[in-house]
Amino acid sequence: MTSPRRGNPARSGSTALLGVAGLAGLLLVIELAPRLGLVDERFLPPASRIAAALAEEAGTPAFWTALTDTLLAWSVGLAIAVGAAVLAGIVIGSIPVLRSLTASTIEFLRPIPSVALIPLAVLMYGTELGSTLLLVCYAAFWQILVQVLYGVADVDPVAFETARSFRFSAWGRIRHVLWPTALPYVFTGVRLAASVALVLAITAELVIGSPGLGKEIAVAQASEAVPTMYALIVVTGVLGVIINLLARTGERRLLAWHQSVRGEVTA
Amino acid sequence: MRRLLAGLTAAVLAGALAACGTSSDSGDTTDAGGVDQVKVGVIPIVDVAPIFLGKEKGFFKSRNIELTLEAGQGGAAIVPGVVSGQFQFGFSNFTSLLIAQTKSVPIKAIAAGVASTGEAGKDFGAVVVKGDSPIKSAKDLVGKKISLNTLKNIGDTVTRESVRKDGGDKKNLNFVEMPFPNMPAALQDGQVDAAWVVEPQLSTIKAAGGREIASTFVDTAPNLTVAAYFASTTLIEKDADLVKRFTEAINESLTYADAHPDEVRTVLGTYTKIDEKLRSSLVLPKWPTQINEPSVQTLATLGAEDGIFTGTPDLEKLLP
Repeated sequence: MTSPRRGNPARSGSTALLGVAGLAGLLLVIELAPRLGLVDERFLPPASRIAAALAEEAGTPAFWTALTDTLLAWSVGLAIAVGAAVLAGIVIGSIPVLRSLTASTIEFLRPIPSVALIPLAVLMYGTELGSTLLLVCYAAFWQILVQVLYGVADVDPVAFETARSFRFSAWGRIRHVLWPTALPYVFTGVRLAASVALVLAITAELVIGSPGLGKEIAVAQASEAVPTMYALIVVTGVLGVIINLLARTGERRLLAWHQSVRGEVTA
Repeated sequence: MRRLLAGLTAAVLAGALAACGTSSDSGDTTDAGGVDQVKVGVIPIVDVAPIFLGKEKGFFKSRNIELTLEAGQGGAAIVPGVVSGQFQFGFSNFTSLLIAQTKSVPIKAIAAGVASTGEAGKDFGAVVVKGDSPIKSAKDLVGKKISLNTLKNIGDTVTRESVRKDGGDKKNLNFVEMPFPNMPAALQDGQVDAAWVVEPQLSTIKAAGGREIASTFVDTAPNLTVAAYFASTTLIEKDADLVKRFTEAINESLTYADAHPDEVRTVLGTYTKIDEKLRSSLVLPKWPTQINEPSVQTLATLGAEDGIFTGTPDLEKLLP
């Protein structure tokens, strides 16, 4: 169980180092390409100028308001999607008739791109938070729902029947048999949805103009403030990395008891 | 740990339900102590500087209007926003308003928005080309690729009119749609032969060596009124007093902005990210309080000729 992974800490150390080196290389390319005239400096300013613009942005209250707005839209949207999808997934997944009844509808609705709902969002909520939430919820919901359905389908029927014969209540069976089995799937769904929700939050802000980083990017674009625009784009990238890291760490911590994680992390 | 998870799930669910409850109440116009909460849909560009300035100066507050400016991206959300009551007022160019009118969208202009300076070469919108382009004047645009921010809208009408006045065939233009911010790069790259732009892109392109070949608003009509503030006919019937106060406040703002260009350049820094250098050099439009009706008629006639409208616009219904 431990042997193939013994060298892990060292390896993960060098992986991190390689990651940092990769990032540094990217920064160097962005710094040099415009300076050497490979791309027009007006359209891609050197990394140092983007960094300067970022520092300047970070000094304005508007930036922090926008960041808060984006995080709010992301977290509330994700929370709604998680709540609704887990509930719907368990109900649909555990009732076979419902599962067959909804299967084609889910397959039909799932691939509809969230951004296609922008006109609807604007009609309902104008340029407010609600518009962003609608898109975020829609995109994140299906990611989680499908995982929950897989999770529920994965429940061992023997274990379930055993619980039944021990006269577990319906809630008890969900709580002690179904939920522990489905949980790793739920977390996978949440992790995927967390990234998707961020992308959609920023897209909505960018296109609709609801408050947040995306709107700031749009304003910077319209204002010919190119370094500021890239600075804000960098912020959204960093946010994505942080959210992914948090989701992974959270998943590992909360599922430490589960074999899928126990097999992966060996201390 | 599992108990914790169950608790966590319950908390998330509760949070989700609470959030669902709060996110649904929006769009309030209620009076609070005689003060009207007013939302206006605007595009965060130079054209709407007067309303930002007027808000700062208290021209709205003194008329019991608490103003919220919703600077949405692009004008597309503004007309539906006003019709559905998300915004009480909106800002839009006249061609968009005429299009809405021919589609029987219940809106009406209530104040002037922004107007051309009327001076060729010194206006806030123009067709530009690269410095080394063989295109010398508007008639050379025939058969060429020209970028517009929106197809079949005001840029289409005024660019065609510039070409016609210069002796070219206005039917034979090749328009491509792209957002204004993309145009400097597209022009530089040769993806388009010419670009119809407004400030601040106009100044940026000129600063990079681009040439202006047609002041399109000037060519179309003398002192063209480019855009207006508008409201839904429902609001106009229901709350004529609010509309009257808003129009007065806007007119005061327009007059003030027209007389104080330095303050306009300063206020631009509050709602756009245009840097100081560009702010001090860009061409400001004119902000008269009077809608130039003959110029709007020209937009309507030309647009009908070019097939922008599905019916004939009825100015009687649109203008205040």
